[in-house]
Parts: sequence; C-alpha cells; structure tokens
Amino acid sequence: MKRLAILSLACCLVCFWGASALAITPETQPKVITSASKNVVEIGLSYSGDKIFFFGVNPVPGADLVIKLTAEKEEAVKLSVKGKVGPLWMTVKQYEVTGSPFIYKIHANKPLDQIIFKETAQELELGYDAVRGKMKMHLVRGEAAPEDEAIVWKGLLKIKARANLYNIVEDPARLEISEGKLFKHYFRFPPAATEGRYQVESFCFLKGELVGYGKDMIEIKKVGLEHWFTQTSQKQPVFYGIMAVLVALGAGLLVGVLFGKGGHH
Amino acid sequence: MEIYLPIAGMSINFFLILGVGGLVGFLSGLFGVGGGFLLTPLMMMIGIPPAVAAASDSNQIVAAASSGAFAHWRLGNVDFKMGLVILAGGIFGGTIGVQLVKVLRAMGNFEFVMTVVYVLMLGLVGGAMFVESLRTIRRSKSATAEAAIAAPVSESGLTRLFNKLPLKMDFHRSGLNTSAIFPFTIGTTVGIMAAILGVGGGFIMVPAMIYIIGMPTIAAIGTDLFQIVLTSANVTLQQAIVNHTVDLLLALILLSGSTIGAQFGAVAGKRLKGEQIRILLAIIVLALTVKLFLDLVLTPSDLVSLAPAKGGGH
Repeated sequence: MKRLAILSLACCLVCFWGASALAITPETQPKVITSASKNVVEIGLSYSGDKIFFFGVNPVPGADLVIKLTAEKEEAVKLSVKGKVGPLWMTVKQYEVTGSPFIYKIHANKPLDQIIFKETAQELELGYDAVRGKMKMHLVRGEAAPEDEAIVWKGLLKIKARANLYNIVEDPARLEISEGKLFKHYFRFPPAATEGRYQVESFCFLKGELVGYGKDMIEIKKVGLEHWFTQTSQKQPVFYGIMAVLVALGAGLLVGVLFGKGGHH
Repeated sequence: MEIYLPIAGMSINFFLILGVGGLVGFLSGLFGVGGGFLLTPLMMMIGIPPAVAAASDSNQIVAAASSGAFAHWRLGNVDFKMGLVILAGGIFGGTIGVQLVKVLRAMGNFEFVMTVVYVLMLGLVGGAMFVESLRTIRRSKSATAEAAIAAPVSESGLTRLFNKLPLKMDFHRSGLNTSAIFPFTIGTTVGIMAAILGVGGGFIMVPAMIYIIGMPTIAAIGTDLFQIVLTSANVTLQQAIVNHTVDLLLALILLSGSTIGAQFGAVAGKRLKGEQIRILLAIIVLALTVKLFLDLVLTPSDLVSLAPAKGGGH
C-alpha cells in the first residue's frame, strides 16, 4: 500500500514536471514594451465604435509578431438553430455556448501557420482552430445531431464577424514593423463591443519559439446619459418604466397642444 | 450622424430612425391609423432586436395616442365608461401578453410567433381592405354609388347576442345599453396583441367597436385613443419591469419623426378620396405581409442566430 502511494506520488510529480516543461508561460518572456493611443473608451450618445493605435518595440529584432485582442470576461451565449417545420422555418434547437471569447481579433505580420506550430497556437489560443477547440456547447432545447458542432461554430463565426467582433488579419501592411523592431497597428473596437475590460496581447516568435510578450488593458464604459439609461433600466425598472410612460405622455400632450388637433388617428 | 441606443445596445443612424418614424407618421396621418403595426416590422428590418422594437414602439404609442386622445376629449368624443371597461380587459390582456413574450423569448421563438401573427393579421386586414376599397371604386364609377353608401349599418347578430349576456351596463356617450363582457373580452384580446406586436390595436378595435358593439364612429375613435393611451402605458411599464426592453431614446426619436410626418400626412390625406387612401394602405399592408411571409418560408441566410440574453435586449 505504502509502495503504491509513493509510486502514485512519483507519477504525479513526473506529470507535473512534464506539464510545466511543456507549458508556455508568456509572462516569463522578455517584455514587449507597448503603448496604446488611449486606454479608456467612453460610450456616449454619438458612439459608433472606436479605433485605438498601438505602438511597440520588438525585443528580438526580426522576430514575427502576433497580436491578439480579447475581452477579459468569458461569454456565455445562447444560439438558436433554425430548421424547417412543415413549410415554415423556425427555431428547432438551442445551444448554450461557453468558452468562446466575446471578441477575438488577431493581427499578424504573416500567416499564423508560417509563424507557429499547431500545438503552440492551440496553447496560446491563437487562430480560429484554437478558439473552436475551446468552445463548449450545451444543448438547451431540441435534439442534438452530430453535425451541430460545425453548424453552431460556423454560425457563431458569421455572427461575430458581421458585428466585426471576430477577425484575423495576416498582413505585413496591417501590422507594420519598421526595421524589424518598431511596430505599429490599430484595432477597431466595433459599436457592438460593450462595456467591459479588454486585453491586447503581443506575442513575439522567433522560429516558432515565443521570445517576447506584452499586454495592454483597454476599458470600455458607458458615460453620461447612456450610462444612466442602462443602469436605471436594469436596477430600477419600475422607476424607469414609469418615467418612460410619463415622458411619452408629456411629449404627446405637448404635441397635442402645439398642433391643436394632434398627430395620430 | 450615428447615435448609440443604450437598451438596444447598438449604434444606428439618427436620421434613419427619424425617417422611419416620419414615414409611419406620414402614413398614419394619411390613413388615420395608429401605425404601430407598421413601425415594429420596419424597425426589425433596420436591425433593432424584435423585443426592443416592440417594447419601444409601445412607449412611442403612449405619446402618439395621448395627443390624439387629448384632442378628442376636448371635443367630447370619449366614452369614459366604455373606455374603462375595455381598459380593464386591456390591462388584463397586456399583463398576460408580457408574460407570454417572456416565455416565448426564453424558448427562442418570439420572432417566429410575432411574424406568424403579423402575417395572419396584416394579410386579413390588408386583404379585406383591398377588396372593400376596390369594390367602392368600381361602384362609384357606376351610378348606384350614392345609394350603397347611404345604406345604414344593420345591427349584427353578435350585437344581439351580446345584448342577452349578463352584466348589462348603460353607456351614455355611446347611447348603448349592453353587456360589459364583450368590451372586456375585446380589450383582453387587443391587450395581448399589443404586448406581442407592440401595436395599439386601433385597426382591430375601432371596427369591432363600430360593427360589433354598435358605437357611433367618432365616439369609437375617441374612446379607442383614450384606452390605447392607458393600455400601452401599462404594456410599456410591464415591458420595462419584466423584460428591460424599453429604449426610451429610440421611442423619443421615433416620436419626433412620427409627429412631424403625421402633420404632412394629414394634409396629403385631404387631397385624396377615402377609397383611394384605403386601397393605397391595403397595398402597403399586403406588400409588408408578403415580405414577412417570405421570411417564414424561404431558406434563411443564417441558420444560427443569437438568442436574446436573459434580462437584456441584446
């Protein structure tokens, strides 16, 4: 019994060493010094997304760069899948999808598969295959089918790409590196990017090995009227509802008085 | 000019919403209908989430109907007693409707049910109006037009049936003595629809009040507006509390557009004949029906869509 305990302990230790030897820890790498044109984005009345410039210094001249934008929070989304019932199209099943990032953008100076190996990409979650691998689906309603994973992934990707929340650009023109050292690019934060904290991670690779890492935080928050409307509607719904009715009544009566006869009917 | 709608959680062109409001206002000024039944589908077409579109539309209707109700009240066209009975039904129905929306949203088929109800109702109303106005136009070309128009509305079988029901009440302003059960039932039905579709229900309520309850036309319109104000106020409040989907900013922009549009519509309306206006409205309604119907039967471009998050409109 004692021998078995020692053996299993040894096994655990070997596994632990093995895992830590394999794992890539970006934080221990030489730091990529970066700077963002701003770190706080405010959603006001005329907000329609924002563009933030990033500048940085490549710690190893000539190394390849991969820059990833994700949201700090993980997202759980519910997706409806349509199917044909008789002659009509309607929702036939729903999946709850977890583990997929709310926003996912990558800029690289050349195609990812030319910069890193599949395993590294998987581990650092770089590229759509890695995102797809991490996505978990849980059937909420309807009957599961084997092709659902592919359908849901394709659908999610389409929804996200249309809202400009997911995209991958592998283009040296988009991620400029002057003399192999100084780099510059921008991320567009679409209007669909809601309140929260976002992280921009810069990875430097030399012959597939991680040689540098840096991280910037960007915060998006609603301000002024937008903040007030959102907060009130969520936290004091009764007050918000009464206010909405009173404002509408006031506006209607005002119009009635102004135009004499009133607008509608 | 882009504007960020806080509850819809999206950025959209300010003038696009103002324009949609203006267009619906113009049509409602021209045709003398509330326009809620056109506004919600139009908003969905420009990308507003359906639940937010319906709830904010209800909010907008409070404003639109109150200006009309105010005018009719001054002219003495509101039967408050009848209005309150219908209203009791409306509040009952509106509360059921909002809960129904909640269940349907959770099931992911809110949009489907909404589209089906719209297709059925718009198809019915549009079709009936089209046939009726076409007939009137044909008839007016022949010499017998005057006689046909002069024919009084006969007391329908339903009216007689409802006269036999219990809970009889005197409705002075309408000059009626009838059972309160019928206006209550009508109110409930319209209340449920108001919540699901984000409409005032005037386009069903007024014909029902005239042809089935037997009220004078002008009193029906005045009373209908009065009860719409309160019914949609209730729906707005319930939507705000239960679904958090009322976008006041959206409602205010729509309102500004629709009140301006309605003034132009009213002027344009004076230059057209009644049946010409009705056939035009019928064509618009039928076109919308066809578009919504095609959405149901054609293969959608996206099989997978985002189901609304709990408690949020996005």
